[in-house]
Amino acid sequence: MGLFFQVALDGLFNGLLYAVVAAGLSLIWGVMDVINFAHGEFLMIAMYLSYWLGFIWKIDPLVSSLAGGLFVFLVGALTYKLIISHTIGKSAMSALLATFGLSMLLKNICLNRFSPNFRLLQETALGGKTFNVGGIIVPLPQLVIGIVALALLYVVYHLVKKTRLGWAIQATAMDKEAAELMGIDTEKIYLLVFGLGGACVGIAGGLLPSYLAVHPEVGGLFSLIAFVCVAMGGFGSIPGALLASLLIGLVEAFAGFYIAPVFKYVAVFGLYLVVVMVRPRGLFGW
Amino acid sequence: MKRRFFGKGLLLVLVSLLMVGVLAGTSLADEKVIKIGTLFPLTGSCALAGQRCRAAVDTAVEVVNNAHPELQVPLAAQEGIMGGYKIVLIHADHQGKPDVAKSEAERLFDQEKVWAVIGSYNSAATKPASFVAELKKQIFMCGCSSSGALTERNFKYFFRMAPTDKTESLEFVEFIEWINETKNADIKTVGLIYENTEFGKHAAEEGRKAAEAAGFKVVADVAYNPGATNLNSEVQTLKAADPGAVFGACLGGDYTLWVRTMKQMDWLPKVSLNYCTGYQDPIIAGQLGEDANYFMGGTGYAPEFAGLMPAVAAVEEIYKSKTDPSVPFDSDSIQEAVALFILAQAIDKAGSLDPTVVAETLYANEWESPLSMGGKVAFAPGGQNIKAMSMLTQLQGGEYKRVYPADLADTEPVVPMVPWSKR
Repeated sequence: MGLFFQVALDGLFNGLLYAVVAAGLSLIWGVMDVINFAHGEFLMIAMYLSYWLGFIWKIDPLVSSLAGGLFVFLVGALTYKLIISHTIGKSAMSALLATFGLSMLLKNICLNRFSPNFRLLQETALGGKTFNVGGIIVPLPQLVIGIVALALLYVVYHLVKKTRLGWAIQATAMDKEAAELMGIDTEKIYLLVFGLGGACVGIAGGLLPSYLAVHPEVGGLFSLIAFVCVAMGGFGSIPGALLASLLIGLVEAFAGFYIAPVFKYVAVFGLYLVVVMVRPRGLFGW
Repeated sequence: MKRRFFGKGLLLVLVSLLMVGVLAGTSLADEKVIKIGTLFPLTGSCALAGQRCRAAVDTAVEVVNNAHPELQVPLAAQEGIMGGYKIVLIHADHQGKPDVAKSEAERLFDQEKVWAVIGSYNSAATKPASFVAELKKQIFMCGCSSSGALTERNFKYFFRMAPTDKTESLEFVEFIEWINETKNADIKTVGLIYENTEFGKHAAEEGRKAAEAAGFKVVADVAYNPGATNLNSEVQTLKAADPGAVFGACLGGDYTLWVRTMKQMDWLPKVSLNYCTGYQDPIIAGQLGEDANYFMGGTGYAPEFAGLMPAVAAVEEIYKSKTDPSVPFDSDSIQEAVALFILAQAIDKAGSLDPTVVAETLYANEWESPLSMGGKVAFAPGGQNIKAMSMLTQLQGGEYKRVYPADLADTEPVVPMVPWSKR
């Protein structure tokens, strides 16, 4: 029984990590109808920032994650200003291709500047630390990422649902022209949303070097799973992204342990297909 | 007037371009050049290893093309081969993807007109790329791809320098039997963890065969998708089965994730024996720090082997100038340099650029190879180097210590591995 709970806990932690990565993606899609293909690379650059801050100035990822959030907020805002704003009002494909190009650019810049080396931070506040609760091992880095993910999702959800800024974001998502007629600066809203999406993934990326190696390809699978979480949860829905991410994390862990590790992603993508077939707009989509 | 001037200008440019093309063609034709393609994962999850393999081939070409009388390797004293032919490398990147490897091999042969290809690190990429070469009756030199299946195809133009997974599996089992006898290790079960690729699957298959043939029970068979975001269920599966020994085939970042996940789950087998993987990568070992210690693996070269392979050090200096001065050759990259040296010797000896003649020469001779453990290279039908050797090392204090065979060892192995809680 202990093993069952251990696997469940691992699954929940994975799910929470996916949720915070997916939240930013969901927000951007929900408001702007833009699929940000560079989302995984946003995660990667936050990881690099955290790694270098830790490596050069011995700043712990717990602190660097804030810098990661801020930095990727700026990267997101800049991405909107320099790239995405030119694609608004054009075919959805142009934004998709533009962000795909951006993802290649970011990946290759890191490859060129930092080489393909796998970089691991040693001696971090959380790295390798665990505690035992009734025979179940709780890894501290994943626990902290899980708590941060929940807090971040709550903040984003609260921001969107309960604040004037959030109402403006919702209004912009529903009808851009009507929102403009009501005096909402939609340009600023788009900029903020892209920045916020980046900040979510930036904070997660900043924490990850506590236990995960940093390299130019690290964002790939995270971004693929984040896309699945967003599509499964319903585009634009933060609670949907959270539920879908938790489901995916649990399915991945249980299928990996009770069927075979090699089938864990088969089960994840199988679940996604079933949800999309039964409910094409996703669990919480409208 | 303007239009006439423009027309004349355009004509002049075209004629100039044509002249440059003709002259360049003439100079290339006059030059005695052998174009050889390299095909490694220069981007993607194995890019680190791929770039080092490319640098190793660059190093070998530097030695072959220029006179380096100070080096104790064949062809170093002369300039070029076969009366002054210089080798020119054309580099290609397969990104670790078999389909890209196939199309890049085709491009190298068809468009770049290379005479042979060296590569491709990942066995999964080497397989289709070497198939392209075989169809075209062109030589494919493989340094370090270790899947035994590659040399079981009866290809005539394929040659591999490194020992195979089969050789390493037998060595792993021999080692376990030895520590059971001499160190009372009491290991009866084996677990396998491997990436779900050509390399990983074949390594695991050979590991299972060797273990079962020696009477060990394989209690866990864990395949995973490379580049995973976590390896929790993989390590949980191993931990639940608790094998005495684990044979690992985890490359690059997956290796670091595997080690760190085992630490988080506070579990280790008595011995962890690794194929040609992240274990052999000195950078990865350095990044893991203390956590890398007490893991073991088959090793074809490490700087600690300097006493056994004295010719390497001077060549390694050239290699370091092409990569990172702090990074020495590793087991994989050095095999790619060997591949180029052996090919160059064969061309020189054959005195011909007919691939069939050179392939026959490769089979017919035993080659001097001071960069190989054992110092010789010779090929069996199918292209496997039958002189390939490796020995088992264990990381102790961040250094690759030779631990088996006992007669070549410089250190006693630490068995069982020191538990995480006592490090």
